[in-house]
Amino acid sequence: MRRVLVLALAGVVALAQPRAEAAAPTAREWLERMTESLATRDYDGLFTHTAGQQSETMRIVHRMEGGRSVERLVSLDGSGREIVRTPGEVHFYMPDRRVVLVEPRSDEGSLLKALPAPGPQLDSLYTLELRKGHRLLGRDVRVLDVRPRDEYRYGYRLWLDQKTAMPLRSEVVDGSGKTVEAIHFTRLEVGEGIDPRHLRPEVDTTGFQWVRAGRRGEPRVAGPPSATWLPRKMPPGFRLVVSRVQAVPGSPIPMQHLIFSDGFASVSVFIEPAAAKGPAPSESTTVGSANAFSTQMSGHVVTAVGEVPAATVRDIATSLAPVDAELSRSDTAPGPAER
Amino acid sequence: MTDQIREQISALLDGELASGEISLLVRRMERDAELRRAFGNYVLAGESLRAPGGLTASPGFAARVSAALEADGAAVTTPPVAGRHAPRRWLRPLAGAAVAAGAALAAILFVPGGGEGGGQLAGSTAVPPAMIVASLPPGGASPTPAQNQRMAGYLVAHGQYASAIGRRNAWSNALAADPGITRVALEIVERP
Repeated sequence: MRRVLVLALAGVVALAQPRAEAAAPTAREWLERMTESLATRDYDGLFTHTAGQQSETMRIVHRMEGGRSVERLVSLDGSGREIVRTPGEVHFYMPDRRVVLVEPRSDEGSLLKALPAPGPQLDSLYTLELRKGHRLLGRDVRVLDVRPRDEYRYGYRLWLDQKTAMPLRSEVVDGSGKTVEAIHFTRLEVGEGIDPRHLRPEVDTTGFQWVRAGRRGEPRVAGPPSATWLPRKMPPGFRLVVSRVQAVPGSPIPMQHLIFSDGFASVSVFIEPAAAKGPAPSESTTVGSANAFSTQMSGHVVTAVGEVPAATVRDIATSLAPVDAELSRSDTAPGPAER
Repeated sequence: MTDQIREQISALLDGELASGEISLLVRRMERDAELRRAFGNYVLAGESLRAPGGLTASPGFAARVSAALEADGAAVTTPPVAGRHAPRRWLRPLAGAAVAAGAALAAILFVPGGGEGGGQLAGSTAVPPAMIVASLPPGGASPTPAQNQRMAGYLVAHGQYASAIGRRNAWSNALAADPGITRVALEIVERP
């Protein structure tokens, strides 16, 4: 009874706090503002993308059209590749390969709700810290440090525009404090007036091969019951948010695509029948902050991809097991990762 | 170990050993436990130990090993890891140059120890016991263009489901995939 009274009094005290103090955005609110700004504002900017020894200048153009975002990301030096996200599809132009990969856009209707967003468990996985930073690009800046509480995820350092919460700089930091990937804007226009012509690809696709993901890969939300592969033990905080069957560009066979998220970081798992018989060595691939781990088990190749440490994609990939009887019967040679 | 063998190993790691000689050296290592141990010590005690992310070989190394193995269809044995009861497996040269290179590297770098049925990655305590690691050089002949394209495709598909900032990072990496890609071949055995 006494406890109830104390809680009630605490509530009264909380309600009595001055309005201005209650309105001061917390670190978490800054994170939410940044997510919303990136998704809903119009902007056009140049940034350098640095990962390891590689540094590349890129341009991003983002515009809302009819309530949906259209986006173009271009590599200005190097390969000249572009990714254009139209209302219905994602086009990946690879002039260096003379290929365009096309995939149906995924964020339809209720699927959006399944996408990673800072959830209630975020505080148990990361610590958030907000401080004032030096001015960047002529703008006042707040610096947000997102530090992981364990080794299964990366940390982020974000320099957010005080006015718009757009990230003017972002760095992905590993467990030892080393920056594994950095994006620094050198120019950024935010607001209306972004020319829609800048969303058109500049690649001349004459003679290019268009690799289109199958229509049967239409996205659908599905919970764990419909997944034919399930995790036995996930790294802490990661849960299955989306399961779909899709044709990943470049693969002739539709594959299962599972998405696991901790509310901030996400990991995709692609599962496809193995082409080669017998065991094959597992492989780990690193591109910037993205790690991939591929292993063969139960006659399938399981590949986990995400902006998380190498050990996390490895643990997620090797923790999966088929639960569907048909798949289990197709076992041929057990892969080296089987335990 | 003779000076000639030492020079061959050195040339192998520098990517300067002819494919025919790589094949002979690998075959010799299959037969000669002493040579395998010496090779492991030589590699891991050398400069490559200090390379971030494990052992690095020069550009073209994997491709040369792969080509040599594919040329004569040599079988490569993978000895077990120390203290575990992983069965001895035979890894035939696999379809695809990079896969073969990965298998070959993993096989070469599994260095049997002196104990009964035991083997270990000589000279290394930093590498997790369950894995053998050979980092392939960025760029070069490996991974193959098809593998790069597949990785880029995965990143694009993955980016659609990432958070707003996660998508931008994933897609930036997809655009920059080829020059910065690093592949590591791993052989997973039983874990403790």
